Amino acid sequence: MKHLALTCLPLALLACQPATDTNTNSTSDDKAVAFASTYAPQPSTDVLLTNAQIIDGVSKEVREGSILIQDGRIGFVGEGDVPDGVTELDMGGRFVTPGIIDIHSHLGNYPSPGVRAHGDGNEATSPITSEVSAEHGVWPQDPGFDEALQGGVTTLHILPGSANLFGGQGTTLRNVPSRTVQGMKFPDAPRTLKMACGENPKRVYGNKGGPASRMGNVAGYRKNWIRAAAYKAKRDKGGDYDRDLQLETLADVLDGEILVQMHCYRADEMAQILDLAKEFDYKVTTFHHAVEAYKIGDLLAENDTCAAMWADWYAFKMESYDMIRENVPFVHAAGACAMIHSDDPNNVQRLNQEVAKTWADGNRAGLDISKAEAWQWLSTNPAKALGILEETGTLESGKRADIVIWSDDPFSTYARPDTVMVDGAVLFDRATGLKPKSDFRLGHADLTEAAQ
Amino acid sequence: MRTLLLTTALLCAAPTAFAQTVLLDDATVVSASGETTTTDMIWTDGKITRQAQTLSAPDGAATITGTWVTSGLFASMSSLGMTDIGSSGSGNDVSSEDSPTSASERAADSFNPRNPHIDDVRRRGVTHAVIAPRSSGGSIFAGTGAVISLTGEFDSVLNDEAFVMINLGETGANRAGGSRAAALRQLRAALDDAEGFFRRYSDGPDGGDVLSRQDARALRQAASGDIPLMISADRASDLLAIVALKDNRPELDIIIVGAAEGWDVADSLADADIRVIVDPLHNLPGSFESVGARFDNVTRLRDAGVDYAIANLSALGVTKPSSLAQHAGNAVVSGLDWSEAFAAASSVPMDWFGVDASTTVVWDGDPLEITSAPIAVTINGVEQDMSSRTMALRDRYNPTSDDTRPYKYR
Repeated sequence: MKHLALTCLPLALLACQPATDTNTNSTSDDKAVAFASTYAPQPSTDVLLTNAQIIDGVSKEVREGSILIQDGRIGFVGEGDVPDGVTELDMGGRFVTPGIIDIHSHLGNYPSPGVRAHGDGNEATSPITSEVSAEHGVWPQDPGFDEALQGGVTTLHILPGSANLFGGQGTTLRNVPSRTVQGMKFPDAPRTLKMACGENPKRVYGNKGGPASRMGNVAGYRKNWIRAAAYKAKRDKGGDYDRDLQLETLADVLDGEILVQMHCYRADEMAQILDLAKEFDYKVTTFHHAVEAYKIGDLLAENDTCAAMWADWYAFKMESYDMIRENVPFVHAAGACAMIHSDDPNNVQRLNQEVAKTWADGNRAGLDISKAEAWQWLSTNPAKALGILEETGTLESGKRADIVIWSDDPFSTYARPDTVMVDGAVLFDRATGLKPKSDFRLGHADLTEAAQ
Repeated sequence: MRTLLLTTALLCAAPTAFAQTVLLDDATVVSASGETTTTDMIWTDGKITRQAQTLSAPDGAATITGTWVTSGLFASMSSLGMTDIGSSGSGNDVSSEDSPTSASERAADSFNPRNPHIDDVRRRGVTHAVIAPRSSGGSIFAGTGAVISLTGEFDSVLNDEAFVMINLGETGANRAGGSRAAALRQLRAALDDAEGFFRRYSDGPDGGDVLSRQDARALRQAASGDIPLMISADRASDLLAIVALKDNRPELDIIIVGAAEGWDVADSLADADIRVIVDPLHNLPGSFESVGARFDNVTRLRDAGVDYAIANLSALGVTKPSSLAQHAGNAVVSGLDWSEAFAAASSVPMDWFGVDASTTVVWDGDPLEITSAPIAVTINGVEQDMSSRTMALRDRYNPTSDDTRPYKYR
């Protein structure tokens, strides 16, 4: 950092803004929210990115043009009126895309180093733990956040693990340097509930009172939705009632305030869950992992349920045996909402490569999907599935300026983010060496850098 | 290399990828050392019939541009063919928690050449691989590894006693009872057992300090340097402990797997003539033994003159090394030349493990690009089947299919 001032290039100009830790202002009006977001964007400069190849997350073609960033938001994409005093930065034909959103991450709750004391991702003490929330297990100093940022990831959804039928609430975070989780929380992002199908709950609880089978799994969901409906009826009536965090979460799902994010691999099981949701009148927003989603693309489209998938992970357990490398494009081709996810501190650094992989194989199988369209799997659809599409996920006027400038075509192995902005603030800039460094890296990282 | 390719292709008898005459226009041919040249090729019924700088397509022949022609990739660490599904229990022969044996357990005995994952890995251009067990119980010795060909045929084990696999570092410490000191003590004592085999075990099977007679016998070849000792370790100080071991026993032929902090002791590794297998995508401090992990580890090892190979050492990358090319491609971004990265995932480890095979892979683009894939693979002149279980599933559920029969009848 010491030599930064000497090497300030155009983008470094932005990066040279004094940064503060994000824990001061709440942008949420809702004072009743527990553990409210204190996120405030880092300082940014109004800037016009010119001569860019723009993948905006909406159109099916790569557009050429400019992007205005004003007050941390997107002014226009393509062409428009440029206010006086805005710095122009020539992208030299580089690709500019929305920041990537990883809808399935355990950064912070299964952080590096992966010592046992860091395993805060799963309250695996009961099949029903809807009273817990992932945000209380997130360590903001996970070095994985910093590496994911350098891979272009600007928003993350951190989930509890999948041992339980009802695992607890997930939390949506800005990938920003912060001392606190509250300083990372995406303002006003909907809360989510992690649920899990299949092998994991029955494996973990099979000898601890159940469920011990997929039958037990479904019975467990139904029994608790019945409890939740009764709790909700009591709550809706008003007056005195004993607050129950476990049932409160489920009742909030029934009220449509919490989005269900459900770990589920097999096609037949996802179909059962869609019927379960009909029985209790709630919506499954996204199936996660969904290795067999390609078998029921039509069902997913009918139910407006998204699928978050890997490109090529499989056969690490029985329910992941039927993977195809075309899962994401096949679900997309069926008209359903498809997206990539990482569930991994390594792949989260290269989600563009995972999408490129599955995109190429989809087109080999006979589809005709453009790169610009396939980009929806990286930011647009995850934003939709997290209920934050009005704020981020695409490059459109008025949205947060969550932006990645790439060294090359992001569908190439050889491409890397050159610059990553969150709310218009440059948080990573390769040319100047600007990057966040976790407390954990101090000492260790300093040693490795001194060796350079 | 070019002659070799021609010979290989001419032997192709049963083409599947090029069922007609095709002009490979401006094909990029990659030599064993990774150098590239551009040439035109004409394939007729799967054989190269002509090769010249400029050729025109014969009547009725299709023209394919942008192909790359290379030798096959080599997965220098895997458990391919040893596991059907990853969870423990039946269908997973990678480790043996409750067995009384260690070094003498042979991966070749667990290997199933009909394992369906082999087809999927071969489809990504991998023609040969090392297979190794994983340590378990109280021993740092995982067993004896093998070298295999990915033909899927029953004769595809090329060397059933290719090396002995050992886990050091945190894993080894846990196996040995809880500390690195215990793991190193077990290793040195075991080497003594193997070296003094006839003396120590003359009176019975329990004459060794740490190894049973059968395990000591299995370690003898590696202890004398006739085959490699493959040792997993990441922390710089653990790597130096291995260097010290080699100083004391210069006959050992050591290959280190992992070496996340290898860059910090690269000169020592080079001086000791110790080879390394590294994952160029290991950059997170996933444990305290890899706090110094960094993307350019492989580049720094190269700079120091260490002999290196590239692998995907993630759990899934070991069980099914399909994404080997992706890991090599990413090493280019970290500073390797393209030719170095390609060779480190193909000819370099193939030489290490004595694989003498002619292989050809025709790719639809730069093989290290994530969007590229092979369109034809030959091993010793035999064109390989490009179908697989995942491809069959793909075809059954392909949304572009106009087949209206129920899925189970497709």
